[in-house]
Amino acid sequence: MTRAWLRWLPAALVPAALAAAALAGSYQAGAATSLPHKTAEEVIAMIGRADVRALSGTVQQSSDLGLPQLPSVGPTATQGPASVMELLSGSHTARVYIDGPAKARFQVMDMLAERDLVRNGNDLWLYNSADNSAAHMTMPAEPARAAAPHATPTPGVTTPDVVAQHFLAAVGPTTDVTVGDGTSVAGRTAYPLVIKPRSTGTLVDSVTIAVDSASGLPLSVDVRARGQAAAAFSLAFTDLSLSAPDAALFSFTPPRGAAVEEKASPQLRTLPGKTGQAPQAKATASRPTITGTGWDAVMVLPAGTMTADVRSAPMLTQLTQAVPGGRALTTSLVTVLMLDDGRVFAGMVPLERLQAAAAAK
Amino acid sequence: MASELSVLFRRLRTWAMLLALAAIPVLIAAAVKLSSHPVAPGRGPPFLDRITQNGLFVGVTAMIVSVPLFLPLTIGVVAGDTIAGEANLGTLRYLLVAPAGRVRLLLIKYGAAAAFCLAATLTVAAAGALAGVALFPVGPVTLLSGDTIGVGESVVRSLLIAAYIAVSLLGLSAIGLAISTFTDVPVGAMAATIVLSVVSQVADNLPQLEWLHPWLFSHYWLGFADLLRQPISWTSFGDNALLQAAYIVAAGALAYGKFTSKDVLS
Repeated sequence: MTRAWLRWLPAALVPAALAAAALAGSYQAGAATSLPHKTAEEVIAMIGRADVRALSGTVQQSSDLGLPQLPSVGPTATQGPASVMELLSGSHTARVYIDGPAKARFQVMDMLAERDLVRNGNDLWLYNSADNSAAHMTMPAEPARAAAPHATPTPGVTTPDVVAQHFLAAVGPTTDVTVGDGTSVAGRTAYPLVIKPRSTGTLVDSVTIAVDSASGLPLSVDVRARGQAAAAFSLAFTDLSLSAPDAALFSFTPPRGAAVEEKASPQLRTLPGKTGQAPQAKATASRPTITGTGWDAVMVLPAGTMTADVRSAPMLTQLTQAVPGGRALTTSLVTVLMLDDGRVFAGMVPLERLQAAAAAK
Repeated sequence: MASELSVLFRRLRTWAMLLALAAIPVLIAAAVKLSSHPVAPGRGPPFLDRITQNGLFVGVTAMIVSVPLFLPLTIGVVAGDTIAGEANLGTLRYLLVAPAGRVRLLLIKYGAAAAFCLAATLTVAAAGALAGVALFPVGPVTLLSGDTIGVGESVVRSLLIAAYIAVSLLGLSAIGLAISTFTDVPVGAMAATIVLSVVSQVADNLPQLEWLHPWLFSHYWLGFADLLRQPISWTSFGDNALLQAAYIVAAGALAYGKFTSKDVLS
């Protein structure tokens, strides 16, 4: 009897050992590291001095905005409103390769598909493997400028660095900035810079930017919303190398049989509450305007931006709730108010503030 | 081991299953060839629209189609039969009379099931390549990243995908072997293995069970697309191998516990 009991021992011990090994591995990944102390000003200055010209790495983005999650059955080629939705929920992995300011490649890795963005000089290619389509754009020639440490990012290339710049631009008298204990991101030691808005008018609770202790490059950005334990939005390198990537990655020729489309030059979009990008001089009527400053800023899209058929798309009506005068999408971090007259208000603020802004117009 | 393999591959059932698997790419290729209107991009299984331009995609499409159900089905039959089949035929006690030891018998049975995993995936890949070459033009292959590679490298990538899928199925084989030691009815073990693979895939699609996903043996089954990117992303290959190894060890320990303490009466 005792011997039979002994033979069952591995069956109990092996799963326990595997679970322990897996847990130990994940515990070590987030273990605190000791770094020489730095003040918040010093860490921000480090980001400003960062001069990373080439990198290759993998970034992981995940959003948890309190929206209902849709089952992802098999490979999908999402189009239209659904592709907006997928950015609001779930997680994505992308590989990013950058070599100098004019060469970049960004690969969003979907299930059995991939979306690519390749920039080589002034040529910008977009490729979507799901429908085998490519689009070509010519970047506007950049004006001669003083050698800025941060060159204009290629639009669409979302790295923790780019997102961190938006939030750093919001640092001012309305925010508290502190530095936490050293952490480890993508195998590199980093200073976590915690930005906490003082204003109570915003849904943002805090923003944590992990800054590489060696190069000053932001390695991850976590945005926490009020009243939610999990990060509402997080973007982090899971793997990073600061050496120059293979030059062949940046030469792109559309594959045979792909539908190629020539598009107008890309526009730089401004996002609510992210005042980092200076509004472009040639603002036209369809451009979004921003009212308010800092964390409780509201972005306004004028009438005609959202057509009635987009507003009545079943996906959108399911997610939004009816409010006087239109429909509203409320998430833990971002609120969007779509009025029946076609105007759209958005911001990292509660719905009441958007309604107040709409009424003020 | 050699005798076990020859028993496995001399069986009519094994050949019937391999033939059925080989029929999948042939069917896909024939259907696309005979269809009058071209397949629109983004419709049907991934890469289906590429087949008309390049026959080498037949194998990839067939592997995508067969991974969720057909391959687990055949693996379930082979792995579920390993011990329970012998017990059902009354030959298990004769095998144990030979001074080989029960652990060795388990290892040999598992080795044969693993060999079938490889044979099954290679069958799909090879039949796909042959059907594609026979019916469609062959040329440089477009990867998911939009880059183009030559025919030679695409064959290497197809073999890598077959290896990835074979590795993916090793965990399921080990589970089948473990279930097989618990029963004398081979059909029960086969059905339980197949049902488990379906349950695992359904759970993998439920966002509410997200915490469970990395632990499911089918979690990385469709991750072989990472081998079609430029440059190849080896992360999922490594994660998958690690996960399958964990399942092999855990299910192996369970099979050891049951089989070595079991009273073999038949």
